[in-house]
Amino acid sequence: MVAAPAVIVGIYVVTLIAAAPLATAIGFGISEHLGSSLIANDVADSVSYDWWQEFASQGSFLMLTSTFTPSILGFATTLDSVSGLLDKRPMVPAIALALCFYLLVWVFLQGGILDRYARGRRIGAHGFFAASGTFFLRFLRLGVTAGIAYWFLFAYVHEWLFAKWYVNVTRDIPVERTVFYWRLLMYAIFTALLALTATVLDYAKVRAVIEDRRSMSGALIAAIRFIVRNPWRVTGLYLTNTVLFLAVVGIWALSDPGAGGSGASMWAGVLVSQGYILARLIVKLQVLASATALFQRSLAHWGYIAAPGPVPPAPPIVETS
Amino acid sequence: MFGLSAIAMAFVLSTTLDGSQKFDQPAPGARSPRNANYEIDVRLEPGDRTLHGRERIRWRNISANPTSELQFHLYWNAWRNAESTWLRERRLGGNGTTPRPDAWGSTDIKALHVTLDRSYDLGSNVRFIAPDDGNTADRTVAAVSLPQPVPPNGTVDIDIEWSAKIPRPFARTGYIDDYYFFGQWFPKIGVLEDAGWNTHQFHSATEFYSDYGVYDVRMTVPRGYIVGASGREVTSTDSSNGTVIHHYHGEDIHDFAWTTSPQFIVLTRTFTHPTLPQVQMRLLLRPEHAGQEARHFDAAGATLKYYGEWFGPYPYGNITIVDPAFQSGSGGMEYPTLFTAGTRWIAPTRVLAPESVTVHEAGHQWWYGLVGSNEFEHAWMDEGINQFSEARVDEVAFGTKNFLARRYFGGFVPWVFRDIPLKRQVDEGLAGYRAQAESDAEATPSFRYWPSTGGNITYFKTALWLHTLEKWLGWPTLQRAMSTYFDASKFRHPGPAEFFQSVNQAAGRDLTPFFDQVYRGSNTFDYGVQLLTSTPAGTGHYRTTVVVRRFGEATFPVDVLTTFSDGSKKTERWDGVERRAIYRYDTNIRARSVQVDPDRVLMLDVNYTNNSRTLQPRASEASLKWSLKWTAWLQDVLVTYAWLV
Repeated sequence: MVAAPAVIVGIYVVTLIAAAPLATAIGFGISEHLGSSLIANDVADSVSYDWWQEFASQGSFLMLTSTFTPSILGFATTLDSVSGLLDKRPMVPAIALALCFYLLVWVFLQGGILDRYARGRRIGAHGFFAASGTFFLRFLRLGVTAGIAYWFLFAYVHEWLFAKWYVNVTRDIPVERTVFYWRLLMYAIFTALLALTATVLDYAKVRAVIEDRRSMSGALIAAIRFIVRNPWRVTGLYLTNTVLFLAVVGIWALSDPGAGGSGASMWAGVLVSQGYILARLIVKLQVLASATALFQRSLAHWGYIAAPGPVPPAPPIVETS
Repeated sequence: MFGLSAIAMAFVLSTTLDGSQKFDQPAPGARSPRNANYEIDVRLEPGDRTLHGRERIRWRNISANPTSELQFHLYWNAWRNAESTWLRERRLGGNGTTPRPDAWGSTDIKALHVTLDRSYDLGSNVRFIAPDDGNTADRTVAAVSLPQPVPPNGTVDIDIEWSAKIPRPFARTGYIDDYYFFGQWFPKIGVLEDAGWNTHQFHSATEFYSDYGVYDVRMTVPRGYIVGASGREVTSTDSSNGTVIHHYHGEDIHDFAWTTSPQFIVLTRTFTHPTLPQVQMRLLLRPEHAGQEARHFDAAGATLKYYGEWFGPYPYGNITIVDPAFQSGSGGMEYPTLFTAGTRWIAPTRVLAPESVTVHEAGHQWWYGLVGSNEFEHAWMDEGINQFSEARVDEVAFGTKNFLARRYFGGFVPWVFRDIPLKRQVDEGLAGYRAQAESDAEATPSFRYWPSTGGNITYFKTALWLHTLEKWLGWPTLQRAMSTYFDASKFRHPGPAEFFQSVNQAAGRDLTPFFDQVYRGSNTFDYGVQLLTSTPAGTGHYRTTVVVRRFGEATFPVDVLTTFSDGSKKTERWDGVERRAIYRYDTNIRARSVQVDPDRVLMLDVNYTNNSRTLQPRASEASLKWSLKWTAWLQDVLVTYAWLV
């Protein structure tokens, strides 16, 4: 994975691009609201919570202003996003749209990423995108199945865990600590189910790429079979990656840049926060790379991949001759 | 500048009568009139979650007129059926949750005898009335006609036997597991004013108004249960049947609340001060909050100190702080000599919780307990004045540790924003007020406020106009006004006019037009800069034009400060009445910026960003910084959800 820095850089750029339009919109909104006001000095140099609340009260700017809360500062971003996912917090339409675009790009790129990791050598941009294109429609089909699974988890299982079981079991408990432990249990169960689904999905994609399978239902069944046959290795690998994720999050929490000022301190904050995003992406890619390696190790030999390597198009000179 | 208008005069005259009682002077040897005195015996039955009680009310008519009717509050009937006024209003406010089957509560009068010239059995004469909305399904006010009227200064004894089904927590009262909190729990007589009975139904956002008296209460609870109550414990007697009778006595108070649970840790600390009376503080702490006792005591002590110094001494000698059970819904509530605080298992030290809620509820001992304004009709007089007072104590006593925090993961995990310290004037209410500024005028009786927005008017608008008065008149003047008001109003039922009169007297001028706007009106204040130009006008000269505007409908005098490139300043005083004011300066230096209300006196200005304009704007710099912050947040969201694909 580390030997493929272009993949990391590419994914990071995609993440930046996915966020850029809305960030530009919110920046425009801030600039409009501040206008020529002297308040801009406080806003630039520190935090003006007073102004912040006033800006938020101005109402919709693609409804984005409602997301412009203190949770955008430092480590709170991670608490907010993870908590938002596990608590099934509704998402502003503009954010949901950006997320859909981003996930679609991920689905597209995963063919290339997995192909690159499976071959363990450079495949060039052409090879990367050729593999991406090859597997895009297959992964989209897989995505439909995954979407149904996630919809079931969020619409029914989450509801049952948090709105029924949790509520029923904690409604008469007068001790917050005990109620919190129950909530942690709900989070653990729900996270485990999400992780299991994501893992099956990952191995299905890995299997599809390595064995060049067209049937996605076959890939899913094979992934489940693989996980059932190798439960300890799959779990161990997942836990290892989880520890890596927690380490990244822990370092981020400790280095929390906060609001900062303008100029150098602003750019220092940007550097730290973008470093964190980069690290999170590396962890995500590490999950894919390690799953690929584990799957390959269970096959005949390391580095096996069924599909032939990409053949670059012949240069024009060959055609003319 | 401000003159008395005919309307304002009429208003003052009309409100002078508000809540008046002709014979409200203190009884001989007492602090208060002591015209509503209770002897109550109550037994808690944890098995079926019921209370069984007998009470004798010795009531004296301190109004100017005879009455041939008595009226009583039966608060717990607010949860007797889904059509009570309390539940209707809660639904109006957006909470449509139907109470679960074991959540309902109620009070039933089993017998009622009245002793005038002789004893009369009037139990069958009890009827329910709905003076506020005519809701026939509401049973929170009962009335009974008397066989003969009670004359002014006449006394009547009322004996009531009743039972009550304890609700799951509603409005701070009820049970969860083995924790019980009892507020508004016994049949309580209404307030007879010169103008007639003032006995409002129980509304979702207002609840208090009652006369002062002596409470002598015996509470029977299972052995092992710890009791905290209004007043002071006199005796505690073991019974042979496994129960204990706790006898409490409180004087010159207008309500009585109590709590019981076997889980409380009992802690005490004595408040001492060079010039204020000593107060024994008793804390009933939940075991999971062990270690937070100092924070509760420090906050209560700070309240006793600062409220005592600023407004007047706390006279009772004891106060009980109840740390409520999680999910009990009983946190943050005031009762005479007892209040509930509220904290969390994880309570960061740089966040003012439990301090702020403790200060607030302890502060209600002054604004609610000692000054018994009518909370049904003028909730701002206790909640709003107290919100302001609390904010001052928060700042003076704990100002360096008041940071913004947010909670994640179901509200259990807090995160403190170290670079967002909170300021009392703007960060604790302006946003709420801004959102609901026009929802109601304060002069509207509080129980008629729109249920979901009334709090922002009651608490925050009042606090904001008091902060404004503090900046406008200076703290010494406002403090003098508030202490004068406190002294003149304690153990009575003052109306709004008495507060306004105290402020006018302390300020030495008539502020009625200000009160007309902040109290009687719901218009918003919004001043701003419309134009700033500073252009060359001949060699070495600049012509600067400043146009300031009143965007809102409400008016207030404001300063207009123009700053020039060399740092020199010109200040104009604008009465703020016209829609705009224009100022022109011919100087040999260019202007740099202009500010309306540069010292931010007018804390009610709903849009302060437009109050200034500079010719060297930094909006693009600010927007770059914050859009980059927001970008990282959005990227985090994207990457988090990418885990799923």
